[in-house]
Amino acid sequence: MAWQRYFLAFLITAAIFGTAFYIASRIDSERIAAIRSTEENISIDILSSETQFELLGNLDCETISKNPVLSDELNTLASQLQVAEQNLGDNNAEVIQLKQQYSLLEIKDYVLLQSITQKCGLKPVYILYFYSNAGDCADCSRMGDVLTYLRQTYPGLRVYAFDYHLDLSALDTLKSLDKLNGQLPALVINNRPAVYGFQNLEQMEALIPELKTLATTTAATSTASTSSQ
Amino acid sequence: MTFRCKLLFHSFNIAVFYAKWYSKKMDLPSLGSLLGSFGVYLCLFVALYFEVFLLLSFLERQPEKKTYLKPKYYPTVAMIVPCYNEERTLMQTVASLLELEYPKEKLSILIIDDGSKDGTRALGEDLAAAHEAVHFFHKENGGKYTALNFGIEHTTAEIVGCLDADSFVAKDALIEAVKKMESEPATMAITPAMKVYRPRKALELMQAVEYTFGIFYKKMFDNLSAVNVLPGPFSLYRREVFAKIGLFKHAHNTEDMEIAFRMHANGLKIVNAHTAFVYTTVPSTVRALIKQRTRWSQGFLQNTRDYSYMLFNPRFGNFGMLVLPFSLVAFFAGLYTALYALTRLGYTLWSKVADLHATGVPLQVTTQLSWFYINTNMMLFIILVVLAGTLTAIVLGKRIADTEVTLKAMACYFALFGFVAPVWLLRAAWGAALARESKWR
Repeated sequence: MAWQRYFLAFLITAAIFGTAFYIASRIDSERIAAIRSTEENISIDILSSETQFELLGNLDCETISKNPVLSDELNTLASQLQVAEQNLGDNNAEVIQLKQQYSLLEIKDYVLLQSITQKCGLKPVYILYFYSNAGDCADCSRMGDVLTYLRQTYPGLRVYAFDYHLDLSALDTLKSLDKLNGQLPALVINNRPAVYGFQNLEQMEALIPELKTLATTTAATSTASTSSQ
Repeated sequence: MTFRCKLLFHSFNIAVFYAKWYSKKMDLPSLGSLLGSFGVYLCLFVALYFEVFLLLSFLERQPEKKTYLKPKYYPTVAMIVPCYNEERTLMQTVASLLELEYPKEKLSILIIDDGSKDGTRALGEDLAAAHEAVHFFHKENGGKYTALNFGIEHTTAEIVGCLDADSFVAKDALIEAVKKMESEPATMAITPAMKVYRPRKALELMQAVEYTFGIFYKKMFDNLSAVNVLPGPFSLYRREVFAKIGLFKHAHNTEDMEIAFRMHANGLKIVNAHTAFVYTTVPSTVRALIKQRTRWSQGFLQNTRDYSYMLFNPRFGNFGMLVLPFSLVAFFAGLYTALYALTRLGYTLWSKVADLHATGVPLQVTTQLSWFYINTNMMLFIILVVLAGTLTAIVLGKRIADTEVTLKAMACYFALFGFVAPVWLLRAAWGAALARESKWR
């Protein structure tokens, strides 16, 4: 019996497993770095828009209506965060931190939208969507699917998705402003009173008659979004 | 959709809904998914360990090239051809034996008709009348092992060989086997390199790759002195084997496997002559293939149970410590992985259907091309390494036995094997659990 061969084979197998683990971890780290970089870019975009808004106090509303200030990269970031969440888990500290930063960017984006809306008299269509990954919202996954589809079909529709239980004071303020009662999923459409519970595609289209004013796209290509999606 | 279908659909929908909700609520991956992925990692570790072990064995001792040397001594050889309803292929099988490059006076062919109901008997009698070396015997049907034992009892040759009546030998196969026995005098039995005879259909091509893979495995088992089966097509035994350990047994219709186990149990050496080629016809329908493999797999389980004392017993060398335990683990790992994949696929599909139904969102095709969205978890990399190991084994098997493996055959193997193998594994496990004997024919 060549016991050395048994041992050597074990060592090589373990080394291959170790290498696979290392490669997978490195790729996950790269993913986190990519998300962080996207968040930084968005942060700079928003800060730039805010500064511009404050400096001029009178933006060229025609330009804004043609080229929305709100960054489309937020959508990409949402789907990237979803992948990171799936690979690293809901409770991963880095994922939570990235989600906090993402939520903060969404809130800033939302506030900026409100300001520009008042200034320029725009009529944006937006949804604040509150979900949970903590097991207290079995409908959130399906609600996320509906919102993802709507966002893809109507590029002008803004969907801001927030993890209801995320530890973030700005989010708590937003929840209290919208007078949410804790039921999930919760939807605040164009600043109207919150709607609770799962709404399918047909019900959503009925809830948002403004959708008819938005241009549609024929090819919806991504199913990703944030939100327990 | 009928009312019952709707009821079933909605019930399952609710079950899926609450299963998801509960696993989320507990803030833990579900027990099933935890056990599932752990089990798959365990299976992958064992599979990879075995591949690494065999590749190390290959690096330590590579198969020698074929030579044109002749044996110093030509022992007398009796080739037993057990048959049951083999009128279609018997003629060609016997013709290939008659064409063997071996002294004619040293070779006899014993056709044992195990109570065939077709024209096998008439054909066998004609062949015996036409060729001096051919002897024909007819007996009551009793199973393949009784036909083999009948043949052994009716010959005094030094070497006793078996050849299934659906297989054909290469002209130099016997010389190569005898040379191998001569080079390793302790050899008590010898196995050939088996190839598929003229594979054409997808299922046959799949098996051709599998047999090529088997050539590498068999050779490496030889390196480890742990050959685990003496297949019906062209296995040769020294006569004293039967004197020492007795004749073939019923052995759950896998007498070729049982005798290999028994030889290991008695310390008798089995080697592989990778230059002795035999061509065998393989099942061309799924039904026939599953029936054949169920018999093999169930026989393996039942024989392993009968010889369980050899498992992890260093007294039986690499056979007891590696080949037998691995084969057993591979059986259950294959079954587990297939059921796991099937369950996951079924659950995912059903969830998707239920979600589409509930949300009203049309079905969409995801086309995320960025590297970011490619699944790159640890399991993927390990699966790729295991697949690379499998490909290496196929390429080495091809090189060892100079076999042709086309890309089409490879495609058939990778596309089909994973779907058909679980069926016979499941049937074999079920049959073994119920101790129900599989059928030879």
